[in-house]
Amino acid sequence: MSENSRMDENDNDKKEVSQEKMFTLKKWNAVAMWSWDVECDTCAICRVQVMDACLRCQAESKKDFYGKQDCVVVWGECNHSFHYCCMSLWVKQNNRCPLCQQEWSIQRMGK
Amino acid sequence: MSLKPRKVDFAATWGAIRDTIRGVITLDHVPRSVWNDRFSDVYSLCVAHPEPMADRLYAETKQYLIDHVARLLNKVQEDGEAHLVKNYFTYWSQYSVGSQYLHSLYLYLNQQHIRTHKMSDAEIIYGSPDSSGGEQMEIGELALEVWQSGMIAPLGLRLVKLLLEAIDADRAQKTLPVSIEAIRGTILSFVEVQGYKKKAPLQLYQELFEEPFLNASGEHFKHDAARLLQERDVSLYMEKVKVKIEEELFRARRFLHSSSLAKVSQRCETHMVAEHLEFLYSECMNMVRGERRRDLSNMYDLLKSVQNAMQILVETVLEHIKTQGLTAVGNLQGENVHINFVENLLTVYNKYKQLIQEVFKSDQNFMGALDKACNYVINHRPNGGKCPCRSPELLAKYCDTLLKKSSKGISESEIEEKLAQSITIFKYIDDKDVFQKFYSRMLAKRLIHQQTQSMDAEETMINRLKQACGYEFTSKLHRMFTDMSVSADLNNKFQVYLKQDNIDLGINFGIYVLQAGAWPLGQAIVTPFSLPQQLEKSVQMFESFYHHRFNGRKLTWLHHLCQAELRLGHLKKSYVVTVQTFQMAILLLFESTNSLTCKEIRDTLQLNTEHFYRHAISLVESKLLWADTEELKETTVLRLNMDYSNKRTKFRITAAVQKESQQEVEQTINSVEEDRKMYLQAAIVRIMKSRKVLKHNALIQEVYAQSKVSFAPSVQLIKKCIESLIDKQYIERTAHSSEEYSYVA
Ligand SMILES: [Zn+2]
Ligand SMILES: [Zn+2]
Ligand SMILES: [Zn+2]
Repeated sequence: MSENSRMDENDNDKKEVSQEKMFTLKKWNAVAMWSWDVECDTCAICRVQVMDACLRCQAESKKDFYGKQDCVVVWGECNHSFHYCCMSLWVKQNNRCPLCQQEWSIQRMGK
Repeated sequence: MSLKPRKVDFAATWGAIRDTIRGVITLDHVPRSVWNDRFSDVYSLCVAHPEPMADRLYAETKQYLIDHVARLLNKVQEDGEAHLVKNYFTYWSQYSVGSQYLHSLYLYLNQQHIRTHKMSDAEIIYGSPDSSGGEQMEIGELALEVWQSGMIAPLGLRLVKLLLEAIDADRAQKTLPVSIEAIRGTILSFVEVQGYKKKAPLQLYQELFEEPFLNASGEHFKHDAARLLQERDVSLYMEKVKVKIEEELFRARRFLHSSSLAKVSQRCETHMVAEHLEFLYSECMNMVRGERRRDLSNMYDLLKSVQNAMQILVETVLEHIKTQGLTAVGNLQGENVHINFVENLLTVYNKYKQLIQEVFKSDQNFMGALDKACNYVINHRPNGGKCPCRSPELLAKYCDTLLKKSSKGISESEIEEKLAQSITIFKYIDDKDVFQKFYSRMLAKRLIHQQTQSMDAEETMINRLKQACGYEFTSKLHRMFTDMSVSADLNNKFQVYLKQDNIDLGINFGIYVLQAGAWPLGQAIVTPFSLPQQLEKSVQMFESFYHHRFNGRKLTWLHHLCQAELRLGHLKKSYVVTVQTFQMAILLLFESTNSLTCKEIRDTLQLNTEHFYRHAISLVESKLLWADTEELKETTVLRLNMDYSNKRTKFRITAAVQKESQQEVEQTINSVEEDRKMYLQAAIVRIMKSRKVLKHNALIQEVYAQSKVSFAPSVQLIKKCIESLIDKQYIERTAHSSEEYSYVA
């Protein structure tokens, strides 16, 4: 089927060909949503959804962040995730993950 | 002639001067040479040797003027009361001009002898211990002073009585006993005779004439008001009072000193307006309800002059606009409620704005009443406050209708105009955040379903909202636009990526990648669905492309928002139909078989009941499929309609899903509460970060002030948010008071 429709897409002006096929999929307008690949939607430090900017960034939103997400997510080796802003303030006080108490080290950053 | 001081014979010189004075003061002919000689004589006397004779000259001149005015006083009275004003004016005209000439003749005396002795201005104003004695005046002033004491003092009251009688005659439209010129001239002589006075130059005029005049006029106005009131007709009364005030001002301009004009109209207004407010108010309601412009304009003009009198009219107008507004939007029904709602409101608004401009001269009190009335109507909750206010939703829908592709038959500039007008209504909405919710939902749908008429128009509208409410208000809307342009870029890059690797997806693929949280797409957006095999490759390729570019992100496919174009080849003609992904998936199943039961389809596609039936029904209703039962059930058999025909070769099947359901409306309203908490928390953090330490009440006030542009938060809600921030250790209570907070850095 997908083989045929591909051929069909190439000659979709020739009615004779298309009439032989019952349905030809011409076009697909898809919609998808992206979010951070996290276990928990909420940042345990500021208790705001990680998809939203952290509370401090929201408070400062008056000037900067023109729709773009500057407030990214960070994953630790323990696989727990937080706002990068929240975690960088947290580690100044305490170098352990707030959720599992393991020593904090960054596994990856959101981009 | 020598200017050197010399001996002078006073008697001889004064004799000559006196003869000339007689001619000057009576405006008789004085030859130039004589004038020049006397001018020198005055000089000689002032500088006479060994003793200057200025004081003697002054004393003799004063006596001469006193005698002269005494003679005139007799002449003025010679012809009796009937001619008193006329004679007074005649002699005054002569004397006042003559005294100016005399003043010139005595130039040397005035300048060298008297000026040097005169008091300074400060002494005149603050008084001087020896100001009572034989102070000498310049000759012009002396002449007027002599007139005042020798003529006005004995004659004043008699003159004023006659003057008032003359003005009364003028009011009664009778022929005047004396010429207007004589009346006016006599009255103004009371001002002119004090022309040299620096302190209170109008005092004589005011005490002698103005006050009796105003009192007499006051009586006249009272009397006139009583007469007009007998007709018991407010409209007529107002007309006549306005005419009356005009007449009196005209009369005052004709007879009186200009300083009296305001006092005349003020007296008139006191007796004819301020003292009869109840009578005027009695018709207020009817005038406003009947929108009787001329009456209202008269009423405005009259009440304006009286302190605090306008309030009742203002309030009546306010109530009237409220009633008109509520009537205009009450009981709206049918498909176009949102259009009727906004346009009816605008009609009311524009109508009364114009009325206030024209009738009440854009008076701020009435503009304020218009604002209050609009605010009341637009934020009104029907059923005694039990129902939610629908304005935010209806206005958002109105904008949606205008911004959508389908608005046919109206030009682009008309759409622009209507959108601009809708801001008028928007400004009155209290819960602007609720409007924003609805607006963003509808905007999301327009963008995803490509129903936007023009991106320019969308942008302009958002800028208008930003202007009215600030950047923060529209930042979420901006995020959606950002996603749209980011997606366009992604699509291009994806195509390049496919070409590089020589991959053919078999279909024309396009995608929008939306940022979760930025789009108001409601809850439970992920539905189970078994993807048709024709789409699998596209999904796989795009996912690997996307994950290659971004870190830590996951993609969720929103199939209920996807659309497909399908060419139908099983019919007599070839058609291209635009369908939603679920509809497409159902149709594709019939490629390999003629008939399927509902249950079989649902099992294959793994769709939930709600989604399946909604889309299956839309296919049956569009007649692309036949069903063997009236209502769709598990056992219903569906088959392709092989005889389908349509006039158009390209068409779209819409399922009910695109219509804003009641459920969605409720969801939207409920989500507002959560957003408000977040908004308030952000505001509190922002304030505390800059202020460090703040008392409870001060914090509440600042938060309220900041959020007012978007909604009016309750103190209760602000308190809740403060508590929750204390829990999260953003702020804490200070050591010395539980009513004071400090920011935790
Ligand atoms: Zn956080
Ligand atoms: Zn942040
Ligand atoms: Zn952890």
